[in-house]
Amino acid sequence: MQYVIVGIGGQGILFTSKVLGKIALDRGAEAIGSEVHGMAQRGGSVVSHFKIGDYQSPLVQAGEADVLLAFDQGEGIRNLHFLRDGGSLVVNIHDEKAFENPNLLEYLKKRGIKVHSVKGYDLLREHMGGNFLFLNVLLAGAMCASGVTDLAFDEVAAAVKELSPAKFEDANRKVLQLGYEAH
Amino acid sequence: MMEVFHTVSTKAILLGNEAIARGIVESGCLVATAYPGTPSSEILPAVAKFADELASPMAVEWGVNEKVAFEMALAASFTGVRSCAVMKQVGLNVAADPFMSAAHFDLKGGMLLVTADDPGPHSSQTEQDSRYFAMFAKVPCFDPATGAEAKEMVFDAFDLSERFGIITMLRPSVRVNHCRQSVDLGEIRTRDEEAKFVKEPSRWVCLPASVKVNHPRLNRKVEDIRTAFETEFSKYNYEVPAKKESVLGIVASGVSFSVVMDMLKGWGREDVSVLKIGTPHPLPLKMVTEFMARQPKVLFLEETYPVMELQLPDRTGILGRWNGVVPGAGELLPEVIASILAPLLGREAGPGGEDPLLKQALEDLKVTPRRPMLCPGCPHRASFFSIRQALPNAVNPSDIGCYTLGVNQKAVDAVVDMGASVTMGSGFYLAHKASGTERPVVSTIGDSTFFHMGLPGLASAVYNRHSFVLAILDNSTTAMTGGQANPSVGTKLRKGDEGRKVDIEGACRGCGVTFVKTLEAYDVRKGKEVIAEAWEYARERREPAVVIFRHPCMLLRPEQSSIPVRVDPGKCIGCKFCINFFNCPGLVFNEETKKAFIDERFCVSCGVCVSVCPHGAIEAVQEEGR
Repeated sequence: MQYVIVGIGGQGILFTSKVLGKIALDRGAEAIGSEVHGMAQRGGSVVSHFKIGDYQSPLVQAGEADVLLAFDQGEGIRNLHFLRDGGSLVVNIHDEKAFENPNLLEYLKKRGIKVHSVKGYDLLREHMGGNFLFLNVLLAGAMCASGVTDLAFDEVAAAVKELSPAKFEDANRKVLQLGYEAH
Repeated sequence: MMEVFHTVSTKAILLGNEAIARGIVESGCLVATAYPGTPSSEILPAVAKFADELASPMAVEWGVNEKVAFEMALAASFTGVRSCAVMKQVGLNVAADPFMSAAHFDLKGGMLLVTADDPGPHSSQTEQDSRYFAMFAKVPCFDPATGAEAKEMVFDAFDLSERFGIITMLRPSVRVNHCRQSVDLGEIRTRDEEAKFVKEPSRWVCLPASVKVNHPRLNRKVEDIRTAFETEFSKYNYEVPAKKESVLGIVASGVSFSVVMDMLKGWGREDVSVLKIGTPHPLPLKMVTEFMARQPKVLFLEETYPVMELQLPDRTGILGRWNGVVPGAGELLPEVIASILAPLLGREAGPGGEDPLLKQALEDLKVTPRRPMLCPGCPHRASFFSIRQALPNAVNPSDIGCYTLGVNQKAVDAVVDMGASVTMGSGFYLAHKASGTERPVVSTIGDSTFFHMGLPGLASAVYNRHSFVLAILDNSTTAMTGGQANPSVGTKLRKGDEGRKVDIEGACRGCGVTFVKTLEAYDVRKGKEVIAEAWEYARERREPAVVIFRHPCMLLRPEQSSIPVRVDPGKCIGCKFCINFFNCPGLVFNEETKKAFIDERFCVSCGVCVSVCPHGAIEAVQEEGR
């Protein structure tokens, strides 16, 4: 299973790789991925790679990702080339109109890409007082519910719990559920 | 002596840098030093963390720059203990002087230099190849393909260093530093050495006379190590032979090897032989030339310079960087390697290329890559705004750190390397002075960079009487690399280890600066005033003036008042002044309405932009919360 996770530096993207890594470790599966730190992280476009299975390289080659998890819809669309034909985009959207663009729709159709969208900002505004730092956990829940991976909800919940400070335990559980049900 | 406290061998998912750190601690290293720099920054904090967990007595410290860090570790090696210095590739430029000398010594304790390269580059001003530096200094180099391998190489690099009395280099590249992978956790390997410096001037004092002995000895060491690499290091240097008759041989080092192996497997190709080289200098020549002789053609893949290729006595017929088959610059991403390999293997590079439909969609939707920007609420943004507004005609040299991004606010005109903001201030002043003209100069530098290499330039400017303003943007951390401590912070890495804060104002006055003013960075009205005043002072008195803009980095999540803001569409005239000179992710322009608006996804309610709009269109929202 090859994941590409994209977004804007500062959105908490690295956390998702950590969650996937923890799950792989608990399953006893081999895993390797690549992250972005430093200058490239400061509000700019960020691409993380994560591969579970028998791989040696930390990088996903364009055209081979099974899942593209996008924290930002623009970054998601811009990185669609990473997906294999028939792959899945799980995306946080803030402007639905973009996904009505005829060229985009035709491209998605041609390549058999399935889109699973979640209105992350609206949900966090409504349920979490607009604290957008929970976006990563929300999207983990949404990805889990989309059925594009074999990740079980409890498995993700356990990894999120272990990797976050104890004071966020209840809030994270709530947000994860929110993401899961949003789908 | 050191005891073994931790005996459980387990696995953990670690960042490549954490894997390297774990190797350093498990190796029984006693002195580890570094200066932070992407992609190496996470190594030393992880060394401290593992040292705490495994109760190692080791010293773990940030030096104020790479030269300082390197020399601390080198002297420790003179005493017989294991030591390690960690830096990024351009950091080695700063430490080049002691590094070149270090190679000549017959070292006592094992010394490891970890130099992290940044092909691409992602966060650097060059994409230089540190293996070239290893070759230049005649030092053996390990080039890991994964984080797990990097950890293993740390042990061998220390052993090799002690066996041959020579400093060794571990050269991970960014994809190894920032890979995440399961890694075995072990215990500290007990060693008996303790610090015992024996006075031996002929060994430890580098004089021209000793070089006459040391250089030939170094040459012999290189040849002995080459032989060792040929015969004893099959875990790093090995052939993955083709299962069928080979149509192509690939010699690969570093992460390029990993990429090639996944690619050949994905393509189902069993007619390619791969020779993995984990020790590119000195190159195991016999192994490589014998492999080449068995292949119909040979491709070399390595990042970023042709270091292995260069060591071949005969490059005739080699496919690589010398003959242009492999691009001469840039990272060897899987897509790049695919485009090189596919034609050689008579196949298509595969999907993932540019698609006209997607290209059109991106154009329709105006989706472009986001450039790095200062964070919302970043105090540097306010400082740059003050500086640019106070003296719009000034030349603004800047430095290496988050504040290089002041270029987005048209407040950064030139950046070279660490500390050059100060010395360029001198250079711009002198060029104008010698031409009989005058132009204001306001240089910007961060707190950590000021201590790194800003101080010598400042002393020089005071001594030579150069008129310019040095603005020190003190956010109380080394922010770009993830928030490491530095002398202006005063904290240290290991638990219970006490540091002492070094006062920036005092350091400037100590250098002889007579105008030193400190202010709150968010106060842009005051900022403009003080910058103008500082320049007048510098110009009249013919000396540098220092203004310290102080406010904690937003990554430290400082407690500060929340001032929610809005843009009044009635007052906004769409002039884009705020976009061009303030440039905040939370304050954006709507091209349809031709008005600025607050993007609440990013705004952190710092309130600074209220003072920015010349038309008063940005206003604080009175009621708390949104």
